[in-house]
Parts: sequence; C-alpha cells; structure tokens
Amino acid sequence: MNRNRQMPNELSYQRILQEYLKDELRVLNAHLPCAQKSLSELLGEEYPNVVCNDGTAHLFKRKELEYLASMTDTDEQQILLLPMLIEVHPGQNEMAIICQGEVEKKVISKILDMPITVKQNRITIYKPQLALLRKPLKTTTQYLFSPKGLA
Amino acid sequence: MAQLIKVRPTKIELIKLRRRLSLASRIQKIVKDRLSILMLEFLQLARETVEARKELLDGFAEAYKALSTTAGYHGYIALEKEFTASEKTLEIISGSRNVAGSRIPSFELKETKEAARGYSLVDTSSWLDQTAQLSEKCLKAIIALAELQSGLELLGKEINRTKRIVNALEYLIIPSLQVTIRFLYMKFEERDREEKSRLKRVKVLLEQK
Repeated sequence: MNRNRQMPNELSYQRILQEYLKDELRVLNAHLPCAQKSLSELLGEEYPNVVCNDGTAHLFKRKELEYLASMTDTDEQQILLLPMLIEVHPGQNEMAIICQGEVEKKVISKILDMPITVKQNRITIYKPQLALLRKPLKTTTQYLFSPKGLA
Repeated sequence: MAQLIKVRPTKIELIKLRRRLSLASRIQKIVKDRLSILMLEFLQLARETVEARKELLDGFAEAYKALSTTAGYHGYIALEKEFTASEKTLEIISGSRNVAGSRIPSFELKETKEAARGYSLVDTSSWLDQTAQLSEKCLKAIIALAELQSGLELLGKEINRTKRIVNALEYLIIPSLQVTIRFLYMKFEERDREEKSRLKRVKVLLEQK
C-alpha cells in the first residue's frame, strides 16, 4: 500500500516524459487525410471535406475551392488533389510541397507570382513563401512533419 | 543546472540513456519546427484579425449610417414591417481545420440562392437595398472575425504549451541526459583505471614474492 502511494522516482519520471513526448510525435501527423480528393469532386459536394487519420473531418472553404477553380480548367480540376501537403523537414528552413503533376506547379506559381521547378515530385519553398501560400489556401493545404530529416 | 539522473552505472543503462537522448533530440527538432510554424500562423492570424476587425467596424459605421437614412426616408413603422417580412434563418457551416496538430474552428456562411431579400420591392427604396447589402457584409465580417479570433486564442494556447515542451527539452531533459551519460563514461573510465592499478599492484606483489 505504501509502495502505491509513494511518488514516482526520478527514473520513472523520465520514462513518463519520454512516453508523453512519443505521443506528441504521434499526434503531430494524425490530422493527415486518409485519402486526397480531387478539386472537381470537392466542388460537387455540399459540405466539401476529407476524413483525417484521427477520424475527424477536415472541412474545406468553398471560397478557397472556387479560387483554385478560377485558376484551373475542368481537366486540371480533376487532377488537382486536395489538401495539398506541405512537407516540413525538421531543422531545415526549406519546405516541400508534394505534387503529382503540373497542376500544382501552375497553381503555386500563380499564387507566389514566380516561376517554380518541380524536382522529384516536390516543389521547394521557403518560410516567407509559405506565409504567402497559406494566406489564400488555409484549408486546402496541410502540414506534414517528415521524419526523414531526423538523424 | 542539469540534474543527474539516478541510474545504476552499467553499460545497459548507458545504452538506454543514449537511446533516450537521441529520441529527445529528435523530438526537440520536430517540436521546434512545429513551434516556428505555429508562430508563423499566429502572426498571420493576428494580422488578419486586425484587418477583419477594422473592416467590421467600418462596415458597422456604414451600415448604421445607411440604416438611419433609410429610417428617415421610410419611417420606423414601415421599416419594421419590411424587416419582419425579410426575416430568415442563417445557415453557418462549421467545421475545423488543423494547423500543425492543433484544431482551429472554421465557419462559413452558407450562401442562399434566393436573389430576393423578402421585402416588397415596390414599396421600398434603394436605400433599404443598400442597408440590407451593408448588413449582409457586416454579417460575413462578424463570422470571419469570430473564426479568426477563436483561432488566435487556440493557437496562442498551443504556442504556450509547445514552448513549455521545447523549454523542458532544451533546459531540463536533454542536459540531464547528457550530464548522466558523461557521468557514466567517467565512472567507467575510473573503473578501468582502478582495474589497471589493481593489476599493477598484484603484479608488484607477485614480483616481490
């Protein structure tokens, strides 16, 4: 009984902290969508949303979808998958937007108002550009914390 | 000052501590990145909130001005009658969006396809149309401000929480692990030295015999 009441010793305290931090890491990417949807599909929905890995629904703003639709034609709307994922590499200043084709390149190039190159299905952007991108595309972009940069 | 963790000075414990240190530094990297993203979003939201608030106040000023002109033109009783006729329920789509692991509410006013506002167009003037238009603009601004302000509050809380984690890692957990690992290395070196000196002593004793 006495043993149950005593405070955890220093070692178990450390373990609790480690477990807590592991959970922290787990919840960081829990909001990622189970599957991306095309822009045309989302435009046809009454409440455009995708289901996330944690079971919650991520709602898209119609205004943002219409903004994206204004920049793309009907064929491109079927290719453009949403939400666009912004890959964050720990300890680095640059981020990458995961893109499947040329549509993302076209859209992001228009928003940032600068030419962009795609390398290995990734568009590299920097923090000041991230702010520019996130301003009009709040719900149509999502962060992805990549474990790649962790050595 | 980093505290020494009480562990048995064994190689197994050293391996465990080194693993824990690598995990802690990996998590620190991620949490720091998360904090910088949260800060970026927070600042952006703060800027947008200021703009939205200004827009709302300007909108209210314009709407009240238009309302008083309309009331003067039509009279309060006639205006009240038209207001009663144009009453309708609003539909707000509410959901949430995720910003680097923290959920932020998202509100959007559902646009109705009805072009008419409900009041008689024959009995009313264009003043009322203008007032209605400005009021609708205000309503949209209120919803936008509600979303921004609640998001700002939630992000602020999340930043505080994340900062505490970063500080705990940076000033408490990682230094204490490093100190303990250094202590264990020193302990092992001392054991080695003791062992060597013991062997030397034994050798001397054997030679004396």
